[in-house]
Amino acid sequence: MTFPILPPFELGLVAAVLIGFGFGFVLERAGFGRANKLAAQFYGEDMTVFKVMFSAIVTAMLGVVLASALGLADFKALADHAVSGTYLVPMVAGGFLLGAGFIVSGYCPGTSFVAMASGKLDGLMTVLGVIVGQVLWAELEWRPGFATFHNAGDLGNFYLWELFHLSPRSGPYVVALAVTAMAVGCFVGAEKLERVLAGRSHPGAVPTPAGRPGRFVFAGLAVAAALGLVGLAAPTVAREGGRAPTGLAPLALARRVFDEPWKLRIVDLRPMEACSAKRIPGAECVPQDKLGTLGLADASPGRDLVLVGAAELPAMPEAAAAYPGRVYALEGGFAAWEAFALTPPAPPAPGAPASDLEAYRLRAGIQAAMTGMKAAPPPPVPAAAPGGPRKAGGGGCSG
Amino acid sequence: MQRNPDKFWNPYLAGVALGLVLFTSFLVMGSGLGASGASLRAGIAALEVFAPSHVASTPSLARAEASPHVTWLVFEIFGALLGGVVAAYTSGRLRGEVLKGPRIGNGARLALALAGGVLMGAAAKMTRGCTSGQALSGGALLSVGAWAFMFSVFGGGYALAWFLRREWR
Repeated sequence: MTFPILPPFELGLVAAVLIGFGFGFVLERAGFGRANKLAAQFYGEDMTVFKVMFSAIVTAMLGVVLASALGLADFKALADHAVSGTYLVPMVAGGFLLGAGFIVSGYCPGTSFVAMASGKLDGLMTVLGVIVGQVLWAELEWRPGFATFHNAGDLGNFYLWELFHLSPRSGPYVVALAVTAMAVGCFVGAEKLERVLAGRSHPGAVPTPAGRPGRFVFAGLAVAAALGLVGLAAPTVAREGGRAPTGLAPLALARRVFDEPWKLRIVDLRPMEACSAKRIPGAECVPQDKLGTLGLADASPGRDLVLVGAAELPAMPEAAAAYPGRVYALEGGFAAWEAFALTPPAPPAPGAPASDLEAYRLRAGIQAAMTGMKAAPPPPVPAAAPGGPRKAGGGGCSG
Repeated sequence: MQRNPDKFWNPYLAGVALGLVLFTSFLVMGSGLGASGASLRAGIAALEVFAPSHVASTPSLARAEASPHVTWLVFEIFGALLGGVVAAYTSGRLRGEVLKGPRIGNGARLALALAGGVLMGAAAKMTRGCTSGQALSGGALLSVGAWAFMFSVFGGGYALAWFLRREWR
């Protein structure tokens, strides 16, 4: 998984301005800075809002689907990161309220900014109204009675493919294809509706028909959706057929246990007694024959799975191969871990190079931390004590 | 480039362009576009002037004030304002005016714009995002809540359109 990039905060703000520029520019050029054009959606003669919105949704969706099919991103991980959880009750109620506000003001919160930027005073008033409304509900949402409503129907991160009980691997692709087909069907219908209503429509309404570019877009979206489905078939075969766990050296594992334990899911496959006696911190004891009970195929791929055998794992266990995230196997298994992290290292010989000393310190530190020893092993004997009298004085503020 | 204020992009091409912007945001930031978060931060900034201790003692406001993602949204909306100005100027649509139907006065239109804004502001807070953050971004990532929200928005709009025809027709 290469994407998302997640740049550092300040760089992200630069990206924010650039992305926002594109956002505002496109909205304005689509006609979304004009209340009449937006409101016309709800009188049936100008379906621009619907057309722009759904082709944007389908484009971005297919982009993420194709990136996932190529292994560059992970649809569900990205969605978990980007989308808020589903709170069905306030989302439906708030949706109706927002729709009402939309037809009353002629804008939605995003387009009101663009209208304000292009000098529309009604856009400015809507922007001010949204600010007031946001603060108003923020004042209320956490108060006892309101909080119940605000959090009602909490389904967590809940996706359409889960609603339709599709498998977590192929679900996003199947739903994306269905959404694309539905959208293109609706586009064709919207074009028809506009033509039918054109005769008796309001003289002010100017529908924008699909034309040739529109038909190219329809075709492009259909092709992209089909490619996504093909891509789904290809990597699945590759993944299930010859998927081997990546080796992870004990040192690399130790570093990760210290630095980012929340990104790891360590599963110890040794028999229960051996595992309960001694295991890597944070490891789950799951004997190999019980691995299937973990439901790894449906687990969130956010953490890397690390498999620990008694010795080097001969092959990828079937249940682990279905895990949607990365799978590692500890090189040399627990035996190698014991030798590396649980046995005090031999102090380097006097006069050893600096790199050996550094490696010794690191291993001694790991061993101390992993075995819970109070004192670190004795420091290495210095190569040659330089000796010499300590310089007197030396400044400071004591003098 | 000729400036024709009545000429808009082909809606499908505009949609694809918007989708590519959204896709870029997904790939770079791991999050979608948004608008209402920036409004909340603006409101918090105003409150900070009048009642600084109130923000700190209100959990929902304090959380939004500390959120780096909301800061990101403020910069994103700053970019959107720039993009809007440039696009409006180059298309000849940059001018001070009040947009409305022929049968309504400026005062009434501005009052309705404000009232609609308040409704949407409150609504977007309870739905954890507006048409940009929830419907567009969440819809593209197939979130059930986002789709339920989107259908509700269209439902609410169509339900009230008849009553507001004097504002627009």
